[in-house]
Amino acid sequence: MTKKKRGLASLAMGALATALILSGCGAASSGQTQGQVPGMKTIVVGLQAEPVTLDPHQVTDYNTSRTVDPMFERLVEFKDESTELEPGLAESWDISPDGLVYTFHLRQGVKFHDGTDFNAEAVKFSIDRQIDANHPYHDTGDFAYAEFTFGYVKEVRVVDPYTVEIELKEPYAPFLSNLAMHSASIVSPAAVQKYGRQFSQHPVGTGPFRFADWKSGVEVVLEKNPDWWKGQAKIDRLVFRPVIEDQARLTELESGSLDFIVNIPPDELARIGASSSYTVLRQPGMHVWYLIFNAQKPPFDKKEVRQAVNYAINKEAIVHDLLQDTGVVAKGPLPPVVWGSTDDVKPYPYDPQKAKELLAQAGYSDGFEVTFWVPESGSGMQQPKAMAAAIQSDLRKVGIQLNIQTFEWGTYLDKVLGNPADLPEVFEMSWMGDNGDPDNFLYILLSGDQWPPAGFNMGYYKNDQVDELLRQAQRLSDRGQREALYQQALKLLVEDAPWAWIDHETQIVAMKSSIKGFKLHPTGVFRFQNVDLQTP
Amino acid sequence: MASYILRRLLALIPVWLGATILVFLIMHLAPGDPALIMLGPKATAESLARLRHEMGLDQPLPVQYIRWLGKVLHGDLGRSIQLKRDVAELLRTRIVATGLLTLAAGLLATGAGVAMGIVAAVRQYSLWDRGTMVLALVGYAIPVFFLGLVLQIGFGYRWPILPVSGMNSPGQSGWGDLLWHLILPALTLATGAIALIARMTRSSMLEVIRQDYIRTARAKGLKERTVVYKHALRNALIPVITVVGLQVGYLLGGAVLVEMVFSWPGIGLLMVNAILARDFPVVQGAVLVVATAYVLTNLLVDVLYSLADPRIRY
Repeated sequence: MTKKKRGLASLAMGALATALILSGCGAASSGQTQGQVPGMKTIVVGLQAEPVTLDPHQVTDYNTSRTVDPMFERLVEFKDESTELEPGLAESWDISPDGLVYTFHLRQGVKFHDGTDFNAEAVKFSIDRQIDANHPYHDTGDFAYAEFTFGYVKEVRVVDPYTVEIELKEPYAPFLSNLAMHSASIVSPAAVQKYGRQFSQHPVGTGPFRFADWKSGVEVVLEKNPDWWKGQAKIDRLVFRPVIEDQARLTELESGSLDFIVNIPPDELARIGASSSYTVLRQPGMHVWYLIFNAQKPPFDKKEVRQAVNYAINKEAIVHDLLQDTGVVAKGPLPPVVWGSTDDVKPYPYDPQKAKELLAQAGYSDGFEVTFWVPESGSGMQQPKAMAAAIQSDLRKVGIQLNIQTFEWGTYLDKVLGNPADLPEVFEMSWMGDNGDPDNFLYILLSGDQWPPAGFNMGYYKNDQVDELLRQAQRLSDRGQREALYQQALKLLVEDAPWAWIDHETQIVAMKSSIKGFKLHPTGVFRFQNVDLQTP
Repeated sequence: MASYILRRLLALIPVWLGATILVFLIMHLAPGDPALIMLGPKATAESLARLRHEMGLDQPLPVQYIRWLGKVLHGDLGRSIQLKRDVAELLRTRIVATGLLTLAAGLLATGAGVAMGIVAAVRQYSLWDRGTMVLALVGYAIPVFFLGLVLQIGFGYRWPILPVSGMNSPGQSGWGDLLWHLILPALTLATGAIALIARMTRSSMLEVIRQDYIRTARAKGLKERTVVYKHALRNALIPVITVVGLQVGYLLGGAVLVEMVFSWPGIGLLMVNAILARDFPVVQGAVLVVATAYVLTNLLVDVLYSLADPRIRY
């Protein structure tokens, strides 16, 4: 019997050994989960997914833009914490009185990471590569933002090695802001010529960090550019790692293998924020989440009905209870961080009684039933299904029955940008600003010139008075005059209620308290050039 | 035997064709335009059209499939629409990750499952037996992603001793570090299989142990150890091998979820992202790899039968 026992015990030990072999020399390496290499200051950033490309001209999502941004610079840059502009690779610029020709005087002595010179030819190359179908390097990428950024460009001219002229087809005031976008990054022509399509895996720019390594699915490593014209960054390495699950990303921050994370689960925010080991930063983003009313179909062709829905939705409850204050209640289509925004607009407090009165005025005292499209997830969509359910229940109280149909995001985009005749009466959408100009919200999303496929006025809304104001604002280069026009347009739009705007999502990041000097930017990129690590 | 293996390898061809045609149809019949998903709603109609043309997405479906097949026959799996890299290159790095994870989980499941099953059978109705079987039931019932999250919170946060995501710590690439990262994902993936294999081994052992030849063996005065391992176990293992073989399919499927939860850079993760982005070439390539792995493991299992039981000949 003792033998039998020993036999069984050794068998069990065998199984245990198998398990231990698998866990290998785990115990020995347990102390190595930190990403720090001795003598090197490293920040490891946990993103939601890995970047799809490292070519700034092909950026279309946050994970990609955040990884790419530290390597590149543009002629003009957004200032810290705002979308106001400051000189970048251009020291100064002049705009011709007719608003058609922009002349940029370039910074001298700037070098790309591959050692080649930054000059006017590089600027011309970076723009022409995207917009000129006959350019020899046009086929080195898919440039989703080319038309948006450079659609008004007629020609880019090299005047001398450090002067470049960009001529527009017609005056377009937001153009200068466009030049601060990723698509306007200046890339090394020599590198594009050398790598061709593979440039997306061998990016070369002039930025504070340069590319070191990309292990697919694992990490992208950047190292500081020792020759950066503004002086070296204080940290040596930046590592971007994809950690898909929000909870796992937070756990990795707390276990020490990540230093900086995005998308903290809302339930955990208070706990993390209360700890002295971590810093949580918040900033209202350039974002708006809204319901689009189909202006071409009853019942939302009537202004009273659209206003009624705005009164009937308890936006505060959605933002506070459902989103747990990861956003701020929207008062109109334009986020408050964008200039041109104003509080002097018609307010829509939660008022179901008022909503019922308006519905009765419009001839719908018995309410109505409509279809409501909702995506399952999607870039900028926050919690699309839970928010839809809250809106459905609010509107039921005033007699409006929403029949929710959900679609996977890829399908959803296809359908809402598809045949207008198939659109439902109401559907969800969100928008993240690109260049910090009010035109990027109001004109593109609500002008009558911007019905799909030309733009993104997906509810086919049209208001001639608003259209005229928005067009006028595009042609003026005086900022004060433009601002007045946008505020006027905004008042008309809020009164007319083409959407039910719900909230502006807040950007939230959490990082170890040892990271000093980090500031969030409204465009969502992370600027690490002035950040330092406090060593304990 | 050699001709049997050859025949089985030839059978891979219809499996490949069937699996890829099926996936091709499902992917293309589902709505969603890869060009639109990739370039985003801000792209112009021209750039969308150009991308669709470049990717051959403007061709009729049969033409697209045959073109793809023609390229595959020449060893070219095509280019990823989203990641703009060669599919073969993407798969190469990912196969290793998924292979490691599945292999580790498979070994763990077989080792632990068989051991638990034997002990439970030999000590039928003991506390050990009942305890193991209750654990097995729980292990089989618990969803993989839930178990993964629980283990992450337990060992990553409550007792922060194990890494909870990725395959390596930042900037490290040693085997020790890799195995350290492998523990939680492998355990998560193996749990369901351990449970099934333990239950199967137990019932199979119980059946064998009651047979006459075992009584004879004991009557001859053989050591209990020899009886259990040499006489009983070998016969009891045949149905277990079948279950282990079938578990490979389960592990490959479960790997998708485990890779999502633990950000393990394997084929499953690549495939999920590719499906969401309608990245057809990547999905097709990954399906080829998974189908091949499945068929080859089943072949291996059939070959193992004849090793466990000399009466089985091909």
